[in-house]
Amino acid sequence: MAATDRPLRIGSIVAAALSVTALPAAHAESAPEKGSIALKYLYYRDFQKNDTQYPGEPKPDGAKFDRITVKAPSVLLVVPIGSDWSVEAGATVDDVSGATPRYYSSVSGATKAPGGMSDKRNAGDVKVTRHFSRGAVAVGVATSSENDYDSSAVSLEGRYATEDNNTTFHLGAAATRDKIGSTDDPALDERRRTNEVMAGVTQVLGANDIVQVNLGYRHGAGYFNDPYKSADRRPDERNQGTLLARWNHHVVPLGSTLRSSYRFYKDSFGIAAHTVEAAWVQPFAEWWSVTPSLRYYSQGAAKFYCDPSSDPAVFPFCPGSPTFATTDQRMSAFGAVTLGIKLQLRWEDWTGDVKYERYTQKSDWKLGGSGSPGIDPLYADMVQVGVSKAF
Amino acid sequence: MGDTPTMIPDFGFEFDAMGTVCQLRVCAHSQVLAEAAAQRAIGEVRRIEAKYSRYRPDSIVSRINAAAGTGERIAVDDETAGLLRFADTLYEASAGRFDITSGILRRVWDFKAARVPSAAEVDALLPDIGWFQADWDGESLALRRPGMELDFGGFAKEYAADRAAAVLHEAGIAGGTVNLGGDVSVVGPHPGGHPWKIGIAHPRRPGDVVASIDLSHGALATSGDYERSFEVDGRRYCHILDPRTGWPVTRWQSVSVVGPACLAAGALTTIAMLMGDEAHDFLRGQGVAFLTVDAGGHLHREKPDGP
Repeated sequence: MAATDRPLRIGSIVAAALSVTALPAAHAESAPEKGSIALKYLYYRDFQKNDTQYPGEPKPDGAKFDRITVKAPSVLLVVPIGSDWSVEAGATVDDVSGATPRYYSSVSGATKAPGGMSDKRNAGDVKVTRHFSRGAVAVGVATSSENDYDSSAVSLEGRYATEDNNTTFHLGAAATRDKIGSTDDPALDERRRTNEVMAGVTQVLGANDIVQVNLGYRHGAGYFNDPYKSADRRPDERNQGTLLARWNHHVVPLGSTLRSSYRFYKDSFGIAAHTVEAAWVQPFAEWWSVTPSLRYYSQGAAKFYCDPSSDPAVFPFCPGSPTFATTDQRMSAFGAVTLGIKLQLRWEDWTGDVKYERYTQKSDWKLGGSGSPGIDPLYADMVQVGVSKAF
Repeated sequence: MGDTPTMIPDFGFEFDAMGTVCQLRVCAHSQVLAEAAAQRAIGEVRRIEAKYSRYRPDSIVSRINAAAGTGERIAVDDETAGLLRFADTLYEASAGRFDITSGILRRVWDFKAARVPSAAEVDALLPDIGWFQADWDGESLALRRPGMELDFGGFAKEYAADRAAAVLHEAGIAGGTVNLGGDVSVVGPHPGGHPWKIGIAHPRRPGDVVASIDLSHGALATSGDYERSFEVDGRRYCHILDPRTGWPVTRWQSVSVVGPACLAAGALTTIAMLMGDEAHDFLRGQGVAFLTVDAGGHLHREKPDGP
């Protein structure tokens, strides 16, 4: 290999360069090249007007009752490590205060604790991802803790893209262990184990369309009762299945994107639910966009949910002595509409957004009508502000 | 999606990497798609920058340099082996003019301070320069002398331009360009079929172009005595240093080469700058189109003879 002044072969350097650049891509999918930090603040409040006359209860005066209020600041950090690894970490502190309804939408009883409930939830999670040429594998842990509820979870997920990057397969599994206590009953010490699997595929259908289908299955065993509700007895096993289909369509002349999805949910409690959602991302100039969104949700009641009894001797419990029973309105049949609008601003490495959503839940709005009777409409407002910076 | 191809717009992205301003032009149906592809290309440039940086103690280059003179052989990955094979070819084909061990000359050549080193200072470094003193077996490498250093600065930017263009192509982008501080790799022509017009900077009048070249495929690179240089007593000293003497070239103000890959074009411009009077013959021998500006400011332009 010593230097010589012998004549060059024609194009020898060009040929050598081509053999180098023709190397296969070493890292088609690389770790995020930038880290980012995001701060978010969520304010949630739901309320109900008490208009339904329940047996043996005072005549409702139509007063508006604030129920749950949540104030949750959170921070999310993404840090790339080398070109193959990334670490994501999040932490949130929820301040939850208010009252969960004891019976149906009757708010007079609130929780059994005087003055309603007040709680603080601390939650955190860490996920480590190893990026490969056409895929990634991630391992995560998450914990959350309240004074009457502790939860911890581990997850494993992977994704793999075909050579043309048009098709991506996802697989995931997670295990959650919950510990349930109650401030009303210090002796309560229950457990719940949940294991879930998820599989999905994402397909690019051309320059402007992308579709995704996900299937999920979850098996839970243990304590499902609501410890703050009297005579709440639920099965100690719950199996849940979901089918989610998404379609994102880019509208070239407007530069906007339609995001739509349909989700079907069914579980062994007997609840079946449909969700359809659409959001329209409309950019204006390069630095800001507005996203109005609409979501409709409808569910059928759980098998063991019972409608309010008209017999004052029975109300608020279920007639007879069924093995399983609940009067939790979240297990009833209803429909709900969420209207939202989000404003996003971007400037260099900074992103800021503000989102407002109004949720309205009514029995009458169940798909096909005939939702559970005797429940007042529930409203919720959600405001979220966030700012993030890439570095 | 009934758009005719000519209606596909192109989107521009600018970022800093490789110590210079980098630009991407990406033809795509939407900003979102262009951005997604651009992000991958930018990621590829940054990956190469990090991998071959002398400033990162964990880079392969730093590990090789740290082991210089110890006898320890550093095994390299396939990508690095490919680039070292290329460097070996360049050294041989340029009769020692293109040498990736010549970077240590920057210890005495300070272009920011505009200081001309003494002949003794330069000569003291020459024993530690020479690719023939690297023990390279195709898979692992040892630098025999403790003062030696490898520097991929001579082609890392050009290689990154080619790789970024390849990544854009893999991301489904048919038309676009990657411009890393004047080293340009073309992804493909405008979807309408017309080529990209790429200006070549005038070596003496900043902001002016000396010529403009139409490119649909391939790459364009330019080396010049104006990029990092200073003048002392009416003499110009530029950053293109002959590793055999340690002193700057003087024959050409600039050399531009159009070739099938930016890695080739960039290496050829550097070697041509170092070749002096033989530059034109050398470039003809490589079968590439070129444009040179000689020391007197005269332009020479040639296209290879067709087969």
